[in-house]
Amino acid sequence: MAYIMLTLLIGMVLGVISVASNPSPYFAALGLVLVAGVGCGVLMGHGGSFLSLVLFLIYLGGMLVVFAYCAALAAEPYPEAWGEWSVLGSVLGYLLLVFGGVSWFWGGWYEGAWVPVDELIEFSVVAADSGGVALMYSLGGGLLVVSAWVLLLTLLVVLELTRGLARGA
Amino acid sequence: MTPTHFTISSAFLLGLMGLAFHRTHLLSALLCLEAMMLALFIALSLWSLQLDATGYSTAPMLMLAFSACEASAGLALLVATARTHGTDHLQNLNLLQC
Repeated sequence: MAYIMLTLLIGMVLGVISVASNPSPYFAALGLVLVAGVGCGVLMGHGGSFLSLVLFLIYLGGMLVVFAYCAALAAEPYPEAWGEWSVLGSVLGYLLLVFGGVSWFWGGWYEGAWVPVDELIEFSVVAADSGGVALMYSLGGGLLVVSAWVLLLTLLVVLELTRGLARGA
Repeated sequence: MTPTHFTISSAFLLGLMGLAFHRTHLLSALLCLEAMMLALFIALSLWSLQLDATGYSTAPMLMLAFSACEASAGLALLVATARTHGTDHLQNLNLLQC
């Protein structure tokens, strides 16, 4: 389990580097899909299967929308992948920064630090995270109302921003 | 600082640096914001999972809802920019001083 977690964490950092190194938006969206998938694996390894499922569904839908926007609004005749020199330079720079951080913190890490904690110790019917999320409907009702109101407000904002030509932005 | 903490912090900081330095498209900047929100989501989830704080696992869900609001507002701004200025290059927005 420790090696699986190590691989997932390395994949997460590499995915964020592939987003941050300024490739074309197609490839950046692909890198973000990689980060979301690997983050799902990290959450699964820590026992949060419901949060992992929600994250996977939300980010898959979001990245689908972003791919559509790439094809519609930000299309380039010659898209830049990570092999271009400008992109490769920033990839190497960010990798150097991460390696510096790893070597700075390397002394404090030990073998057991990779092993994730288990789920709840006692035997229980519902998993810890889905039980916690279900709490949103009883005690956290106020926050649920607030987020529903924020989503409605965002719908009105989006409609107003994209209403007509020569408006907005 | 455990390796998991280091990974999440470096993911957030790398997303922030990618947003701050050289962006070509507005869509790339939005993707960097998404990467930062993803790192925050995983950090909040791992906090509640590692501490066995069951009731706290609503917080990443609510943050994901707010992150969806942010992403949709950003994409609407992208559409409005592409309609009024023809392109979504940030250099173009700098040149037009908008």
